Amino acid sequence: MYSDALLTGKDLPLSEALAMGGETTVIGLAIVFGVLVILMIVLMLFKVIFYKDPKKQQKSADTAKPTTAESVTTAAETAAVVSDKSDEIPEDELVAVLMAAVASSLNTSTYNLRIKSYRRVDGRQNAWNRAGLTETINNRY
Amino acid sequence: MIESFLNFLQNTGAAALFAYGGMEAIKTVLMIIIACVLLYLAIVKKFEPLLLLPIAFGMLLTNLPVLKDSPAVMMHTEWFTDTQYMIDGHFIDVGKIAREGGLLDLLYLGVKLGIYPPLIFVGIGAMTDFGPLIANPKSILLGAAAQFGVFFTFVGALVLSALVPSIMFGVKEAASIGIIGGADGPTAIYVTKTLAPALLPAIAVAAYSYMALIPVIQPPIMKLMTRKKDRMIVMEQLRPVSKTEKILFPIIVTIVVALIIPDAVSLVGCLMLGNLLKESGVADRLAKTVQNELMNIVTIFLGVTVGATATASSFLSPQTIGIVVLGLVAFCFSTAGGLLLGNIMCWLTKGKVNPLIGSAGVSAVPMAARVSQQVGQKENPSNFLLMHAMGPNVAGVIGSAVAAGVFLAMFSNI
Repeated sequence: MYSDALLTGKDLPLSEALAMGGETTVIGLAIVFGVLVILMIVLMLFKVIFYKDPKKQQKSADTAKPTTAESVTTAAETAAVVSDKSDEIPEDELVAVLMAAVASSLNTSTYNLRIKSYRRVDGRQNAWNRAGLTETINNRY
Repeated sequence: MIESFLNFLQNTGAAALFAYGGMEAIKTVLMIIIACVLLYLAIVKKFEPLLLLPIAFGMLLTNLPVLKDSPAVMMHTEWFTDTQYMIDGHFIDVGKIAREGGLLDLLYLGVKLGIYPPLIFVGIGAMTDFGPLIANPKSILLGAAAQFGVFFTFVGALVLSALVPSIMFGVKEAASIGIIGGADGPTAIYVTKTLAPALLPAIAVAAYSYMALIPVIQPPIMKLMTRKKDRMIVMEQLRPVSKTEKILFPIIVTIVVALIIPDAVSLVGCLMLGNLLKESGVADRLAKTVQNELMNIVTIFLGVTVGATATASSFLSPQTIGIVVLGLVAFCFSTAGGLLLGNIMCWLTKGKVNPLIGSAGVSAVPMAARVSQQVGQKENPSNFLLMHAMGPNVAGVIGSAVAAGVFLAMFSNI
């Protein structure tokens, strides 16, 4: 099936090398893509079968009439727990810390400042977590 | 008494080195120096030390000067590569190896018979989390695109063989060299031991050295092939993946791969076995064993024996230089293939995919994913691409195992 030149590489003409290489590349990449595309389709089916989007779930829960009083109370409870978690630091303490930080960086007194509102700029992580994570990733070479 | 002392002197390594004489003695010394350089790279520079150290030491052991036919010879590479020692010029003579072989000959049977690489894959499977891949199925395509380098290098090896008269690579050798671009040590060894056993040491050393150099090789290509604006893209958070999905995934992958390309099953099947041991949650003890003790033991055997095949006659040749160059080409083009599809996906999704995760499609878990993360973070310090890059990264392992299966199916029976 293959010529001696292709098997041993001895006196291999360039044209034959390119033809063989091109053919194998096309077949090979097609099979690799084929297998992985099938796996991709399987994984997409996974999402359809097993995954329920919490946002959609919530929406449907909102539109549907609450069937039992019990489900309403549990939803309220979870909401309360979530808000508790996100406000782990008491608000007045956080404001005091922010105020002190701003005052110190502007080199002025806290009496000259008034915080009207504050909000987290990005994401769920605080700066310390992020710095720690970055350091861990960078250290692992 | 003097006679027995003289007899002892004649059997020393130093006497053997003089007995070699001339060119062979120089080659032996040169090989020992190369082994020491690799040991330096492993110990001081920390280039994949868990593998390079055993490989380099195996190389040292096999090149120590010993009289020919002395029972002290630990490894007879020729028994595995030279047809004149084989039964019918085709099959290795296991009986002879068992009777007369040294320690490394016996351990090398594990490589030659294709036992070690799949066992390592069981361990890798138990350490791999396919969650990011299941959550983002499209990223599996990046693992396929990054196999481009494998096939490109296959062509490159044949072309080099056609152009340079002193380098001779047939299709089998070209396939073994190409698979370096899969950036997966066990896969490269598995293919090479079947198709081109004589090239095993050079290919293993090239594959593992370049894997260690991924943080150096990849970033310039990544910067060249992506736009700054795209590198800053923050990707959506991945959806949570249920335990059922994680358990079903390895089972389904094994079946799908077996139906299409059975030659890849010994690698992919073992990878998925290890993963199922972990994800099922009922075989915790086994999962711990395969990812620690078993994997470490096999790594030692594999490294030492692969290194031990690097005798002067097989390693000091123009082919080795060709392999080192082509290996780098393979890595670069695999990275480029992944990035190219990354860019296309970025464009198709209108900027929802950061093209940097494409380069993680070359396996080399988890280093390639970490490189994506770091390059991305340089542009946008609050960006975390690591989990997004893990998807293509583990897909790359499956992709290179499938590419290996393609080569084995095409060339192992000719």
